[in-house]
Amino acid sequence: MKRRRVAPWIAGAVGLVLLGVIVVAATSSPAKERIADSPLLGLPAPAASGDVVSGPDGTLAELRGKYVVVNFFATWCVPCRREHPELVQFAARHAQAGDAAVLQVVYGDRAPTVRSFIEKNGGAWTVLDDPKGTIALDWGVRGLPESYLVDPDGIVQAKITGGATADGLDALLRRVERST
Amino acid sequence: MNRRVAWLVLGIVVVVALGFAAFGDRSSSTTRAKQADTISRGVRCPTCQGQSVAESAAPAAQAIRSEIRRRIDDGESRGEIEAYLEGRYGSDILLTPPSEGVGGLVWVIPIVVVAGAAAGLGVALQRWSRRALAHPTDEDRALVQDQL
Repeated sequence: MKRRRVAPWIAGAVGLVLLGVIVVAATSSPAKERIADSPLLGLPAPAASGDVVSGPDGTLAELRGKYVVVNFFATWCVPCRREHPELVQFAARHAQAGDAAVLQVVYGDRAPTVRSFIEKNGGAWTVLDDPKGTIALDWGVRGLPESYLVDPDGIVQAKITGGATADGLDALLRRVERST
Repeated sequence: MNRRVAWLVLGIVVVVALGFAAFGDRSSSTTRAKQADTISRGVRCPTCQGQSVAESAAPAAQAIRSEIRRRIDDGESRGEIEAYLEGRYGSDILLTPPSEGVGGLVWVIPIVVVAGAAAGLGVALQRWSRRALAHPTDEDRALVQDQL
């Protein structure tokens, strides 16, 4: 009786699967500034208000009329520390026009540590405390750093994970402007 | 005498009412805590790997547990609380996948796979039993006879 040779077929199938994994890994964007999905996209932004750790008193609602980057961060988070100068740069680019702002929310960190970090590294924006994690919960934060771009009408337009860059945020802002 | 009886009855009524109030509230509080725990066991901790918010000590899990308890105290149902969490984190925040839509495949695929495997095993067993029951032909008998 003629025996079928199964092994080459199994080896071929495993090879194809491995090839697929390699192709996906090679073509996916690196773990930096990723536009992520969120059920909040296209919906009114949840409230972001609380005790101010640093910067002027304010809430997200008070920034209506301009683009706002709502950034969740902590000083113990290394990617957040790397991201910080980019946010400073983004805020500086838009300071004169006043068309975009940054609002930071502290995630699992102590207010004095954050205050001293901001004093040292810049950031003239409002930094809100969130000791019970209720703001993060309302925004569905899964990890740090995480940012949300809110348009002038208060609608969430994008979620950025893995650390935003000033150029990336500007490109995103232009894309949102064109689409709305 | 009548007055004494009236006071006695009033006293008993007050004691019973206080007892009901105290134990009734405690029992309702226990029920709410159990309800919160049941819901928490079905919610994935958003910042951990493979843990429910009931099991995790992460700040995000603690915040979700408090929110679940707060919403139960506000009279929200399990469905409403899960819908709120799904609206914030997405449907994968729930450890039990939905039985409708694409999520339903999670339930259907294992059944299909098991049914397919059972059918395949049945066919294989049938073939093997047929092979075992194969009768020798006259040629086979002659060949054996020659060898003997």
